[in-house]
Amino acid sequence: MKTASVKPMQEIIRDGLWKDNPIFRQILGICSTLAVTNLVLNTFVMCTALTLVTALSCWTVSLLRSWTPRNIRMMVQTLIIAFYVIIVDVVLKAYWPDMSRSLGPYVGLIITNCIVMGRCEAFAGSNPPGAAFWDGFFNGLGYSAVLLVIAVIREGLGMGTFCGWPLPYFSTHWDKWIIMVMPPGGFFVLACVIWACRSIRPREVKQ
Amino acid sequence: MNSRSFYAVGYMFLVTAFFSTLIIGFARGTQTRVQANERLAFEKAVLTAFGTFSYNTDAEVNRLFEGHFAQSPEYGKAWVYKKDGVLAGFALPFEGKGFWAPIKGVAAVSADGRTLQGLAFYEVNETPGLGARIVEPFFRRQFEGLQLRSEGLPLELKPEGTVLSEGQVHAISGATQTCVRLEAILNEQLKDWLDMMRREGRL
Repeated sequence: MKTASVKPMQEIIRDGLWKDNPIFRQILGICSTLAVTNLVLNTFVMCTALTLVTALSCWTVSLLRSWTPRNIRMMVQTLIIAFYVIIVDVVLKAYWPDMSRSLGPYVGLIITNCIVMGRCEAFAGSNPPGAAFWDGFFNGLGYSAVLLVIAVIREGLGMGTFCGWPLPYFSTHWDKWIIMVMPPGGFFVLACVIWACRSIRPREVKQ
Repeated sequence: MNSRSFYAVGYMFLVTAFFSTLIIGFARGTQTRVQANERLAFEKAVLTAFGTFSYNTDAEVNRLFEGHFAQSPEYGKAWVYKKDGVLAGFALPFEGKGFWAPIKGVAAVSADGRTLQGLAFYEVNETPGLGARIVEPFFRRQFEGLQLRSEGLPLELKPEGTVLSEGQVHAISGATQTCVRLEAILNEQLKDWLDMMRREGRL
């Protein structure tokens, strides 16, 4: 398998967090964005799980890239991603059962998250393991940053709380927006966040 | 099949075997802990449903549960609650499909099968702030001492503000789908169990 010239670390960080951010640039991983962002704590755990899975999957895919036949590479990638997701799921079930019950099937659905497969296919398959790990890690962080912003807005406006703690004004005088904790609320906030982030660098979007 | 195909099949087989072995080993290593967590969540729900137990540690939950509750084939899926050796009620586990995910819980039924002593949940994944509020005390308290109807469906959830009669409690505004499903789950499983108990002359 071909190895491209290694991307500098600064570029990996900038691309993952901002320039090629999976959510507001590539519009990947939207299903979980809408599903879990009505509570900040759930979002934080989901983001941690996804970041770990993406980083470790990219690292493993990169390690095996010289031996993996090209025609079955996506099957191998899916297998590797599923392996790490099941490990995360079992760890949550064993050591944080309340969170495991609360996230329900969404942890398992990380397997189908486009960001993980996307980074394995686009970067890890043709870069060394170290760079692949950090690429997965910073793409996970880019995803997490956007999701946490959405979750803070949704939980605050919908329930008047932050991580379950009552917020001043929002928990007392604010007329809670029920739609914010429902799935349509996720669409509205996500659209606003994408609009805001893309407005910051309009010239780049045109390109 | 040429040698490249053989290599691909062999490679996939080896990689699958390797990762599967790791997962099986890891899952088996944590199996006891996962099962203990599931059991503990159920035991806590049973104690909460009866509302007469207080505990601080997981070990106390286990001790109280094992000291007061036992299962016996003649009472179906219900756990028998004995206080000082005397039958004091039944803990009836129930589960069914909620609006988003399964709802699992326990109904505490009096020894004569005529009233509910309480309700508790150990798995709920409904909408936060709406359907998920069924686990909150304000909702669950309505079931404490609720007279179950002997004819037709044992209980009914009515919209907030409705004047209630026997076997009725208030639903949660904005959580209609969760309440409709919870009502159906409770009625179906309570009715089946009560009918079985009455048929066999145990109530």
